[in-house]
Amino acid sequence: MRGPVLDTYREVITPEGVALQLPAAGPVPRAVAWGVDLVVRIALMFVISLLLGLLGKLGSGLTLIAAFLVQWGYMIVLEALWHGQTLGKRTMGLRVVLANGAPIGWPAAITRNLLRVVDMLPFAYAAGLLVSLVDPCARRLGDLAAGTLVVHAERRERSGQAPVNAVFVPPATLRPEEQAAIVAFGERAPRLTPERQAELADLAEPLTSARGPAGVLRLFGMANWLLGRR
Amino acid sequence: MRQEQFVARHQREWSEFEIWLHTRADARRAQGARNTGVLGDDAMPQRYRRIAQQLSLARRRGYSPQVTTRLQDMLEQGHQVLYRTPPVRWRAALEFLMAGFPRLVRSEALCMWVALVLFALPLVGITVLLQYRPELIHAFMDPVQVAQMEQMYDPSNPRIGRDSGGDWQMFGYYIMNNIGIGLQTFASGLLVGVGSIVVLVSNGMTIGAVFGYLTQIGSGGPLWSFVCGHGAFELTAIVIAGGAGLQLGLHWLAPGRRTRGQALVEAGMKGARLCMGVAFMLLVAAFIEAFWSSIASVPYLVKYTVAGVLWSGVLAWLWRGGRNRVDKDGDAR
Repeated sequence: MRGPVLDTYREVITPEGVALQLPAAGPVPRAVAWGVDLVVRIALMFVISLLLGLLGKLGSGLTLIAAFLVQWGYMIVLEALWHGQTLGKRTMGLRVVLANGAPIGWPAAITRNLLRVVDMLPFAYAAGLLVSLVDPCARRLGDLAAGTLVVHAERRERSGQAPVNAVFVPPATLRPEEQAAIVAFGERAPRLTPERQAELADLAEPLTSARGPAGVLRLFGMANWLLGRR
Repeated sequence: MRQEQFVARHQREWSEFEIWLHTRADARRAQGARNTGVLGDDAMPQRYRRIAQQLSLARRRGYSPQVTTRLQDMLEQGHQVLYRTPPVRWRAALEFLMAGFPRLVRSEALCMWVALVLFALPLVGITVLLQYRPELIHAFMDPVQVAQMEQMYDPSNPRIGRDSGGDWQMFGYYIMNNIGIGLQTFASGLLVGVGSIVVLVSNGMTIGAVFGYLTQIGSGGPLWSFVCGHGAFELTAIVIAGGAGLQLGLHWLAPGRRTRGQALVEAGMKGARLCMGVAFMLLVAAFIEAFWSSIASVPYLVKYTVAGVLWSGVLAWLWRGGRNRVDKDGDAR
């Protein structure tokens, strides 16, 4: 159907037989998200230890318990309860899902976060980074063992409508992907500068036999025709 | 059909579904409120399937990304709602602890026995060795640690097993330290099991060195009475965590009639559930260690009796727990 595309989409076939595309997130946004979480956790521990410090020895015991919970539980609880997102992942627009695109539950959240210990080896997440560079979906070891995947959750904003002007019938029969490209141009071009529009439309000169603004208008016309406005 | 007509025809259906996703998709939020939208909750799966069909139509007809992305978004969110994992229930958690966990441990009996041998052999071996060659303690520990240890288990100490710190403080310390070690013992099994083996053997050696040396110099009484109680939970938990790590490595090495990835995922899930039990056991151990084991005024006889009860309780739990029930491991996860 489609040629090979250079992309990090992972296609998952749902039980309904539709291919869901999960855009896997690479190591860099994930590392940034981890950094944000680290800052949050340190701040959290700072506040907790200040408050519990007032309680003396009982307080210092409770502080240690809190440190344990924050260290091991922060990621697990947030990912399991908050649709696979921690605070850091939310700021970076990431989300953890199961390999089949379903939300992660407790066992998967626990597995992938416990195994962080191994991904951290020998220092600074080197093992996790190496594995995620090799894996096509950029999964680290913990992800592999838990059967999870980190994806970009935020979709790009929806593009506008194609401007309605004249309708222009394409001079030749177009293949489906060519039709899709022209329609996509019609919908996205209004967000580009006139110069860029013209530059792109010039690529289709053999079809429109016009350059510059005239070519742009003809392409818009063809998009309208393909969209069924006549 | 042209794209515009297609969109116009289904527009209403799609916005209804989007409204439903906004207002009803979050189970917790939707619980209290009534469904006032056009689309009923029970009609949602059907609508979801219709949209799935429309997406594949749109893709095949080469409609623009604008349409397919919107459909794809709706499907993705619908998928998240339809296939989400059921919420955790307290009853299920209790059932897991009483029946599911012991059954899980027994299902990996071989790894557990191997872990036990890896842990207990160096422990006992070094304990016995140090009875005859006590100077060998310096091969395992530096003098500062030895002195600290001697002081902690000094028979004249009012609190056994610590040089400073109150009960609560030590409770917190034990939780952070011991559960952390337990979880790491499991996780390092991902290194083809080698990590778990190293942790088990080295822990066995260190504990053996402490036991052997202190017994030899005559601090055996406080030490054994201190350890015997919480050891029932702590030592077994370490062995189970090691076993969980070993089975992870083993399934990775020898996946059998599955793909390696599949085997790893299954072993990982199993290990995570074992870890939940291990964490619980270590929590109990930390409690006993902080508030019971350290009391020096209790006569040894009482300590040993309580320890006997605890040990037989733990072993009976692991051996018999969940045997009389129908095996429903599948839906326990």
